[in-house]
Amino acid sequence: MNCAEYKELLVAYIEGLLDETEKRSVAQHLKDCAVCRAELKEAGNLHSRLVNNGKNLAQTNLEDVVLERIIREQNVRLKAANKAAAGLKLRRVIMKSPITKMAAAAVIIIAVLIGINPFRSTITFAEVIKPILNARTVIFDFIVGDDETGPLMHEIVVGSRIRRTISNLPNMTLIIDLENGEMLVLDTEEKTAAYVDIKGQLQERTRGYIEFVRKVLMELKDSPNIEKLGEQEIEGQKAIGFAGPNEEVKIWADPHTAVPIRVELRLGQLFVILKNFKFDVPIEDSLVSMDVPEGYTLEKKVIDFAEATEQDFIESLRIWADVLMDGKFPEAIGTENYMKQIPLVGEKLAKLNLSDDEAAKLGMTLPRGMFFFQLLETEGKFHYAGKGVKLGDADKAIFWYLPEGSETYRVIYGDLSVKDVAPENLPK
Amino acid sequence: MSETDQYYVERCLDGHPDDFRYLVRRYQGVLLAHLAGKLGNKDKAEEAAQESLVRAYFKMDSLEKPDLFFSWLLGIADRVAKEHQRREQIRRQREAIRSFSEEAPSPEFSQDYALEAAIAGLSETYRQVILLRYYGGQSCDQIANKLNMPLGTVTKTLSRAYAMLRESLQQHECSEIGEV
Repeated sequence: MNCAEYKELLVAYIEGLLDETEKRSVAQHLKDCAVCRAELKEAGNLHSRLVNNGKNLAQTNLEDVVLERIIREQNVRLKAANKAAAGLKLRRVIMKSPITKMAAAAVIIIAVLIGINPFRSTITFAEVIKPILNARTVIFDFIVGDDETGPLMHEIVVGSRIRRTISNLPNMTLIIDLENGEMLVLDTEEKTAAYVDIKGQLQERTRGYIEFVRKVLMELKDSPNIEKLGEQEIEGQKAIGFAGPNEEVKIWADPHTAVPIRVELRLGQLFVILKNFKFDVPIEDSLVSMDVPEGYTLEKKVIDFAEATEQDFIESLRIWADVLMDGKFPEAIGTENYMKQIPLVGEKLAKLNLSDDEAAKLGMTLPRGMFFFQLLETEGKFHYAGKGVKLGDADKAIFWYLPEGSETYRVIYGDLSVKDVAPENLPK
Repeated sequence: MSETDQYYVERCLDGHPDDFRYLVRRYQGVLLAHLAGKLGNKDKAEEAAQESLVRAYFKMDSLEKPDLFFSWLLGIADRVAKEHQRREQIRRQREAIRSFSEEAPSPEFSQDYALEAAIAGLSETYRQVILLRYYGGQSCDQIANKLNMPLGTVTKTLSRAYAMLRESLQQHECSEIGEV
């Protein structure tokens, strides 16, 4: 072997990879050859450098930190995936199916069906209420519930037309034509439109709610019972307050211009806040047009709002307990609670993997039941005792009310059976 | 620890994420050396190594040949290193614009940056053999097995790699002397 060939073996020599014969041969050559000895020294230096650097880096242990990062990343991914899946399913159930979409729309419309009971008091604060009575257009926000935690409805009112959006169903816009008893439901994301017939009770009650506010104010106008609440900071500005009898209505207004800032209404067991008023703002006709907007596909009408019955209400209680509350009746029922639950309805329905038809049936039953219930709610003639009661518990009364013109109460039990009960025999 | 890469990859895919630990243990040194050579800074190499491993974990189901885990991991590390370098470049440019200073902050080199940079400059086969031998703690037999080549070829590759590293280190020293 010549030097060049020996050089080739030096690394293997250092690494101890040569067999005995080769090893001896290399060792012998190194004794005789200074050039190769120098070469071995160089290679040896590099070898130590590599080994040292390897040892140095081996001191760093990435195991724990990498596994920790993986777990963290895994959680983030899971959450994102769940969220995406839930959002997707929710939209699929509520929005993809035209039927359930209508049901969701129904929830929104019935949510503001108030103003049935006549107001029997009179007050004077004509200046404050003038804008509400006379304005050609009104824009305001509407919240059900007294703590402002409920979803917020934004209302644009032009004559007998209302454009309504709700904060927890961001893709849905309703345009209501009170004159003709018709509603146009727009899904702004899917670009679909549908007409819903709201003639009859629904039309009356929707109309009622706008007129109701006016009526309340008109009646308060001449009342001697109006109470001045003094000045207070309301919605970030100075306001002067007026209260009707029993505080059924409170109005806060700008002390200088008398423009209303906030109206609070208590109707039986229903509490409503109206605020962020803008009066006589020019509003484009297209915003309250009943025509299908350009680029939207028209879907067929599917909602049925014929007279809602007690049976609808009982069915909605069943769904509420069974689907929304995992087998127990809720802490409280009412429009406010119900509106907060709207997104949950979609979410829970999605988990049941129902067919579109089944989901639609559930989705329709809920608002119909609520529709029936709202009459009782605004008149305050009901009692709910279902908190914590299990669905199926026949011994516990969960709800009773006095139907109009009736001497006996209707009492609904945990198994959703109903009995007529004389007032003296009502549950305590 | 003595099982093959393929075994651990499959364990991970079968829902035993904790077994990824063994792959981390096996290749962390290799990755660090590889990345330190590219990024010139031990802390950055560590960060990039972590990122490469985490990425590898989540991409494991796209690994078609689990027995090639090592080369695949190095490929991921290369991409991570490139991204880090690009970020670093942008950061420096921004810094330069902000401070009107032409001076880049001198990076904190790892202990033997010259050696790591020389390894990073080797072509793939040579680099892999060096990394596995000295940073992955594998014997030449094991390397022969992993890279699917005869032991003689591993020895020859190692020998050639030594020659190339020495050349590259010499050039590096010359250029340093030239700079002074």
